[in-house]
Amino acid sequence: MIARDRNWLLVFAVCAALAIVYPLFADGYQLTVIRDALIFGLFAASLDFFWGRTGILCFGHAAFFGIGGYIMALVTLNDAIPFGSLLGIAGAIAGAAFVAAIIGYFLFFGGIRGSYFTIVTLAMGVICQQAAISWSSVTGGDSGLIGIPPIEFDLGGTHVDLSQDLPSYIFVASIVAVVVLALWSISRGRWGTVLTAIQDNEVRAAALGHNAPLRLLVTFVLSAAIAGLAGALYVCMAGLVAPDLSGLLLSTEVIVWVAVGGRGTLLGPVLGAIAIQRAQQTISSFNPSLWPLLLGCVFVIIVFVLPDGILSIYARLKSLFKGGRQAQ
Amino acid sequence: MSDVLLRAENVGIRFGGLQALEALNLTVHDKELCCIIGPNGAGKSTFLNVLTGTLRPTTGSVRFLGHDIGGLPLHRIARLGIARKFQIPSVFPSLSVEDNLKVARWGAPSPARPIGELLDLVALGNRAATLAGGLAHGQKQWLEIGMALAIEPRLLLLDEPTAGMTPQETMATAEMLLRLKGEFSIVAVEHDIRFVRALNCETLVLHQGRRLRSGPFHDIEADEMVRDVYLGRR
Ligand SMILES: Nc1ncnc2c1ncn2[C@@H]1O[C@H](COP(=O)(O)OP(=O)(O)OP(=O)(O)O)[C@@H](O)[C@H]1O
Ligand SMILES: [Mg+2]
Repeated sequence: MIARDRNWLLVFAVCAALAIVYPLFADGYQLTVIRDALIFGLFAASLDFFWGRTGILCFGHAAFFGIGGYIMALVTLNDAIPFGSLLGIAGAIAGAAFVAAIIGYFLFFGGIRGSYFTIVTLAMGVICQQAAISWSSVTGGDSGLIGIPPIEFDLGGTHVDLSQDLPSYIFVASIVAVVVLALWSISRGRWGTVLTAIQDNEVRAAALGHNAPLRLLVTFVLSAAIAGLAGALYVCMAGLVAPDLSGLLLSTEVIVWVAVGGRGTLLGPVLGAIAIQRAQQTISSFNPSLWPLLLGCVFVIIVFVLPDGILSIYARLKSLFKGGRQAQ
Repeated sequence: MSDVLLRAENVGIRFGGLQALEALNLTVHDKELCCIIGPNGAGKSTFLNVLTGTLRPTTGSVRFLGHDIGGLPLHRIARLGIARKFQIPSVFPSLSVEDNLKVARWGAPSPARPIGELLDLVALGNRAATLAGGLAHGQKQWLEIGMALAIEPRLLLLDEPTAGMTPQETMATAEMLLRLKGEFSIVAVEHDIRFVRALNCETLVLHQGRRLRSGPFHDIEADEMVRDVYLGRR
């Protein structure tokens, strides 16, 4: 096993241990805060799985989060549907994946990459938000839908009820851990290596027999499916769904979480999401209008100065010191 | 004839107002080695792009084992058994040498050569863990040849495989190709006459997008017209 993999697993184990002992020190409210932050962390990991490995930025990832959220809300609010929570989660994942498959098919097989892809997905996010606002008979319009019940299902005879803080925290933390671990093992293996090759030189990869558009599409669909799952979890925990869950602001925030946490690391974006939401709460508590401004500045700085994320400062310093030592 | 692997007929291509290729024919038999030479801008790379399906000709057709490959997606063409080395070394810079070869093997329908053998073939056995972006120019060229070999091609097309190589490396490459000659067909585009002489095979001379001469290399080398247009200029 190479050192990079070992380090990743080490950090993962430390995070998992912290997540396990956290309930011993936190009260109910603090648990729900971390739980919701973890859901957004899952969302950030889903974007990183695509952006980090393909180098193609999706600027409308909140669309999939929102689609998952609305499907979950509609399914669980409809009393006629049995097994609402499980069907809702399945529907949220399938719905987000379906939309990603349609849009991704035309973009990837149409040869759209790079900034063009980013712009089209930006438009997709805006369209989704507008649809959620305008289609008010189904989506509840601007105010959204409220009264979404907590997740509840039977699993092999045991009844799982996530209306309490601790069970819902454990449930979310376990899902995040399992999904992040799964995404990591996919992206470090053959699948991820070929994606890196495609990112380096797509024509070359195709000339070696790789169906690059298909591979990009499947990666995008998987990424969207997980974003849909995160959306579904979120609306059940929050109890409501609203158009801004698929909005431009959330799409921008998730990019910042990934960039700050370290693109391509999967775990970093989860930590980035938690840390930045923490900062957001602190800053908003003394001046609510300051946050969007700060977020915008951070975004611009990242895009222009640190395209590889905050973690790259460390790598840069290291190479600087190394270079300095070699020069002596 | 049953052993025809690739047949290009009456290939022509226009870029805007420029007739880059005109009325070119080429037949490659199974396990045959041939060369394409010509001055800069003669259309060699363009012709190779047509032969590998990367560019669609304006007129004419390219058939590989009877399939018309015009319009097939690149990866399907590769899976038919056509491998190529690009003129600009095109390795994956952020992957290690070994991963470059792995990616190539994974793309093949039935890869046969193990990674270790490929590494030895292209003399990169001690660089397996090096990032391909950090290799010397000649080593990148070899790695790319190794990647082309990894897909177990029926036909290997090489665009200036020795560009930027030292004379020793050039000769080593010629020897490598001669060793591989019996396994599959090879079409090599080259500038370096010593290299083509070392291969000593059927040669097509292009000039301004047209066929100037074709035949065995010693006839080509003796040809007055070819000397004027090309060899004489060296
Ligand atoms: N995509 C393109 N669009 C327009 N013109 C092109 C294109 N590709 C090649 N050409 C032109 O076609 C002609 C043939 O180019 P080509 O690259 O095939 O030459 P070459 O024989 O490979 O030359 P070199 O020895 O420099 O590699 C040149 O005049 C070139 O400018
Ligand atoms: Mg050329």
